[in-house]
Parts: sequence; C-alpha cells; structure tokens
Amino acid sequence: MLEYIVEMEHIQKSFPGVKALDDVSFNLKAGEVMALLGENGAGKSTLMKVLSGVYTRDSGDISIFGETVTDLTPKKAQELGVAIIHQELNMCAHLSVAENIFLGREMTRSGVLSNKEMNSQAQKILDRLNIAISPEIIVGDLAVSKQQMVEIAKALSTNARILIMDEPTSALTSKEIDDLFAIIRKLREEGCGIVYISHRLEELQHIVDRVTIMRDGRYVTSMDFADTSMQEIISNMVGREIKEKFPKVESRRGRKILEVKNLNAGKLVRNINFELHEGEIVGIAGLMGAGRTEMTRAVFGVDPKESGEIILDGKSISIQKPMDAIKNGLVLVPEDRKKDGLCTKLSIRENIALPNLDILCGRAGVVNRAKETAMVDQTVEELTIRLPNAEVDAGSLSGGNQQKVVVGKWLARNSRVVMFDEPTRGIDVAAKVEIYNLMNRLKQSGIGVFFVSSEMPEIMGISDRILVMCDGRITGEFMAEEATQNRILECATKFDQKLNPAASL
Amino acid sequence: MKQNYRQNPLKRLIAARGMGQVITVTVGLIILCIVFGILNPTFFSDKNVANLLRQIAPILLIGIGQSYVLITGNIDLSIGSVVGMSCMISATLMTKGVNPWVAVLITLVCCVLVGIINGQLVANCKLPPFIATLGTMTIARGIAQIVNNNYNTDSIGDAAQGFRDFFYYGKVLGVFNTIWIAAILWLIFDFLLSKTRTGRHIYAIGSNVEASRLSGINIVSTTTNAYIVSAICSCVVGLIICATSGMGTMDAGNTYEMYAVAASVIGGVSTLGGQGILIGTVVGASIWGVLQNGLQFAGAPVAIRNIVIGVIVVISVLLDVIVRTGKPRKKKKKALLNMEVKA
Repeated sequence: MLEYIVEMEHIQKSFPGVKALDDVSFNLKAGEVMALLGENGAGKSTLMKVLSGVYTRDSGDISIFGETVTDLTPKKAQELGVAIIHQELNMCAHLSVAENIFLGREMTRSGVLSNKEMNSQAQKILDRLNIAISPEIIVGDLAVSKQQMVEIAKALSTNARILIMDEPTSALTSKEIDDLFAIIRKLREEGCGIVYISHRLEELQHIVDRVTIMRDGRYVTSMDFADTSMQEIISNMVGREIKEKFPKVESRRGRKILEVKNLNAGKLVRNINFELHEGEIVGIAGLMGAGRTEMTRAVFGVDPKESGEIILDGKSISIQKPMDAIKNGLVLVPEDRKKDGLCTKLSIRENIALPNLDILCGRAGVVNRAKETAMVDQTVEELTIRLPNAEVDAGSLSGGNQQKVVVGKWLARNSRVVMFDEPTRGIDVAAKVEIYNLMNRLKQSGIGVFFVSSEMPEIMGISDRILVMCDGRITGEFMAEEATQNRILECATKFDQKLNPAASL
Repeated sequence: MKQNYRQNPLKRLIAARGMGQVITVTVGLIILCIVFGILNPTFFSDKNVANLLRQIAPILLIGIGQSYVLITGNIDLSIGSVVGMSCMISATLMTKGVNPWVAVLITLVCCVLVGIINGQLVANCKLPPFIATLGTMTIARGIAQIVNNNYNTDSIGDAAQGFRDFFYYGKVLGVFNTIWIAAILWLIFDFLLSKTRTGRHIYAIGSNVEASRLSGINIVSTTTNAYIVSAICSCVVGLIICATSGMGTMDAGNTYEMYAVAASVIGGVSTLGGQGILIGTVVGASIWGVLQNGLQFAGAPVAIRNIVIGVIVVISVLLDVIVRTGKPRKKKKKALLNMEVKA
C-alpha cells in the first residue's frame, strides 16, 4: 500500500583507488524511518550523499517520488524535497542562526534581504522543534550540540519530505536526543520518509521501522526491525565472525615505570594520581568531557600544568613542553590523527622521521638519508604498515595504517611510555585488532601503555587495569577481572554534588 | 541553563561581523586626528580637509574591492595593475581622439574582464588566489605598458576636460566630485554586501565554502562577482588618476593592492574570510589617509610614513588574530563545561 518514495538501483560510485559503492540498491517508503547500518567505511554516508546530490554517481538509477532523476545537484535534490543533515557540522560560523537556516534560500523583497521575516520564520521553526536559541545569535558562539540542532532545523525548514540524518545524535545530550526522536515521530506521522544513520544500535528501538544493512560498499539486506534481533543485525554488519576480538596476552607485571602525582591543569584535570608498571596496559574510561584527553595533554606538556610531579623510572622529571616529554621517552598518540598526529601532505618517510630528526641529523643539521631510510623500513616492517612505498602521502593511507604511522614515529626512539588517545576511533574492525596487537607487543617489550577510549568493550577487553575519570578526577580503579560495565559507568557518573547524577551515555 | 532569547541590541551590533574592531580603530582614528590637529593648526583647515578626503577616496575605493574579495576568503593582488591598466587604456583612447565617455566604457569592459578571469581562475580552476591574481597582476601591468607602446601617453587634451572635471576637478554642492564618486559607490556596494542575496552569499562562502556549496550556493559565480566588484573599483581609481594628471602613466597604481589590503584589514576585514563590514574599510582608508597627510605636514619623509603604516597594518592583523584565536578557545572550554552540567 505504501509507495516507495525513493528507489535507488545498482548504484556505483568510485573514488580514486576505492570502490565506495558497488551495485547498491536502496528504497524508502513514505511514513517510515529507515535505519541505514554498517561499519565505518561501509558506504552509508556515500550512498546518502549520492541521494542528496553531493556526489554524482558513476552509474545506476535513482527515482524520487516516482520521477527518474538524472542530474542530481544539492539544489535539485532540495527542490525535490530531499534534505540531509551531514555527519560533520556544516555551518557558516560567522553567520547568525537564521542566516544559516535560510542559506541559499534567502527571502527577499524586491531584491533586498528581509531579515525580519527570516528571523521570525526561523523562530517559528526553532519553536516547533522546541529549541531555545535566538535566531539572531551567531552560530560560532553556540555549543556544538546547539549547532547540531540548528542544522536539523535548517534541514526541516526546507519542508523536506525525505530527510536523511547522518549520525545526528553524536553531539547531542540525552534530552536533546529525546526531543529529536519526538520530532522524527511527528515527521513520520506527517508522511515523511526518514533515513537514519547511526552507530548507536541501542537508539534504534525508539524510532526505527526498517533497517538496511551495508558492508564494504555493498548492499547486504534489508528487513523489518520488529522481526529482527540485534544479534542478527550485528552479524549482518560484520559479516564474519571476529575471533579474538580483543586479543589479550598475559605478561608479568614488572617494576614501576611512570608515576603521576597530584597533577592539576585547569578544570578538567584535578588532582590526578596514578602509576604505570612494565608489562601492563592501563585503560582510561569515562564519558565525553571527563577530562581524559586533557589529562594526556597535560602529562605530555601540551597544556600548562598548575601543579604535579611526574616520576619516570624513579626520577622526577620536568615536562614544560612536548619536547621535554619526548626526550624523556614519554610520547602521545593523539586523538585526532589527521589534525594532531600526522602531516597528511608529507610522505610516510617524512612523518616517521619528523620527531626523530635529532637522531637522524649529523652535526651540521643535514638529514642522514641512509639512517632515515633504515629507520623507516624497520618501523614499517615492525608495525606491518601496508603501503605502496614510503614516499606516498600519509593522508592517502587508510585510517588504521595512518594510526600505525603515528605510533611508528615514536617507536623509533626507544620510548618508555606510550599514551594512546582513542586509538581505534574511525577505523574498521580488522584494523582495530591490529592496533590491539600492537599495544600488546609494546606491553610485552616492557613499554608502559595507557590508552583513553570511549568504547567500553575495548577498555575492558584490552586493559590490565582500568582507571575511570569523571569531571576531571579519577573516580575509580579496577583490575580488568573485577571490572564490569555497570561498575565503570557508576564511577564515570560520579559528578560533583551540584551536578545532576542521572547522566546517560 | 537558559538561553537568552533576545540579545541586547548593542551587544548584537558589536558582535556583528567584526564591529568590535571597527569601534576600536575609529577611536584610534579620532586620536590620530586630534594629535595631528594639535601638531599642525592647519590640519583642520577647509583646504586640507578637502585635500585629505580626495586622498582618501581612491584608497577607499580599492579598499572596498579588496574587502569584497577578502570576505570571500580570497585575495586580489591584481588591483594595482588594473588601476594602471585603466589609466593607460582610457588615456591612450582619448589621445587617439575617442570620445572620453566611450573610452571610459571600453576601459570598464576591459577591467571587468580581468575580474571575471580572476574569479574563474580561483573558483572554477581552483588555483590558489594568491597565485592566480599574481599572474593577472603581471599580465594587467604588461597590458598597461603595451597599449601605448611602452610609453606614457601625451596629454589627453582639451576635449577631455569634461572627463577630468567629472572625475577630479569638478565640485557638486562645494564638495569635490572624487569624494562624491567614492561616497556613492560605497553606498551602492555597502547595500549590495549587507542587504542583498549576493552579499549574503559572499559572507557565506568566506565562512564555510563546503556548507555554502551544500546549501546550493553557486560558488563560482559568487566568487567571480566579488572579483568583478574589485575590478570595477580599481577601474574607477585608474580613471581618477588619469583625470588628475591629464595623461596616462604606466606605473599608475603600483602597489595599490597592498594599500587596499591595509585599508581593509585595519578596518576589521579578516584575511581568513567571512568577516568584515565596509564601514570598517572607510575607517581603515581614513587612517591610511590621515597618517599620510599628517606625517607629511609634520615633515616626515616617505620612508618614515611607510614604516608607520606597515606597523599599523601588522598591529591590526595581530589584533584580529588575538581576537579570533584567543577568545573562541576560552568559549569552547566553557561550552564543554556547560555540556557536562547538562549531561
């Protein structure tokens, strides 16, 4: 009875070197919420970008509301009633909320912008969505979650009949998520078709009618959500049994390598004390904004410390800037590898050599190419980085291999402690396992490893010991055997008393 | 946490597109005027004020052009050469006996062409704007040299007296025409930038090209429009110079592109795009003019004037950078804390 409002058939899309979409078909009915699921890199976002005209397909047929569409541009898609909320925030930070909402569709009266009208229209849309933001406020001054809500308001303001949401909840608070779900249900009743992409499977039960699953750029299956178990969804997404998802190696806990005492740095690093021994991996768990990244940055000397002592191999060391930490063998693999970890336009050789130039340079400051090549070859081999050759841009590698390069540049200099910040974010399952193996190898060779992660199973699967942070303090410590999700979560939500303890993930 | 629905209108004004810096530099401009007024009693004489305004007018015009381009997040280095090209083409045509107004029209077409080429190279061919306009800068200067076989032109003659009066010597209501031209063009371009769709798109692409593209904005035509405005302004300045001296000089407008950047940046236009208002460019051009004029009266040699203006430019950009990178960072941290409270 319900008509298909979107039909995509045999869609192909290649990027240089990658086949992003291979013969993918997809459809959507009016008045349903369709979850589009798959691992990172499965092609979900690419498929939706094709549907919204951002990417042009190589081949395949698209029809929207029964009308076959050939040349699809963002503007054309918008006119056909397709609106997309992108994964990355796409806002003009200098413009106001109303200006962003009406960007590209400004209201004018005889050629002159009617700001008053746009402001009042924007206010209406925001009110309808229950978002308490003034339309006149500059978007750059808003918190990220509010910006996300503005983006949603922008999409809805086009009177879209087909709404695509790509990870809309990742920056939202729980109340905002509830509001968003209310909006989605309302739109469904009004007969809109909604495509919902999310990694948070637990959200699906609140809104989803059907699911479509993709894997490695291919269509796998689609089914009614009500008849499907989570287990089925997951096995379809992964497609293969991952044995040893968290390979764990036992290693004897040796002497103390690192001790941090009374570390204070700003509001998110408060009175931190911990120690790290040879042959163990310490995981740092906590909610977003708990101060985990800030703590690693303070230890590494990126952010200034107010107080605190860092003792490495029994000696108290002073770390004022990253170079002090590096010289002492304390290194950081940062959270955002593209932004903070790699010079993506430099070659892999240059990236690996970069922090080691003091070792590689002769007296006159000339880089010893032979030494450099030897170092790079050894690193590439040890970490089994897959690359055509060491001269290609670091940015051209896959996420997992990029991460290995970031690690590799530190291993060349006999580091004592490696801090990983979210090392597996945005890389696929197989690459994750390789990163875990790498961490295990570091541990076995007597290097102290501690890593920050927001993925609970990963923390519990890999760590020997787990520290939990909340609100800038360490609120819990467990040995791996005694840790459970509930106990970690309990510690992760030990907010100060003035704060609301009913936090959600 | 309650969001304030209505912002304080004064706060909103200051927040808008860099109004804060405009207010700061306006205070600086007033102080400069007072200092020069004390040092030199004739600074505020009718004659000097009229002279000063005529000095400011061309800098304001090229400043408007450069501001348009800077707000889109690009830069136009061809401004000075287009000024020279405009001066030489119009003068050469007039010495060859072409009707001055026809000559003006032909010159305008040639200059707009340079603007279109700039826009296409930057937005369509995706060349870095610095390189693209460096190329057109050299080409336009070459054209300025070649139109009269590598010589400055002779006098444009009596037939062009009307042209000279229109652009430089004439007065309306006791004010020199040059000042009127700058004022009227400012009004038009300020209206275009702040009140029309094209203007809004210029801000949008300077703020976030990708978001603008996804919102269906035509990046190529918007960028080209900004470069065309810049070319038109440069063209008018070239005509003013031609009218002033009554002949075409090949190196007219040399280094004007830098004055244009100075006027824009002092007035709070960000070189990173997305931010700036044309009233700021007026203040920026005025500071430039007042410094030139005042230092000249005070007997400072050209070298000293250059150094002073250079220092002012660096300080203005430094202010911009501090405001941009210093402040938002604090804000971000605050936002993070707010989120925690809500969580």
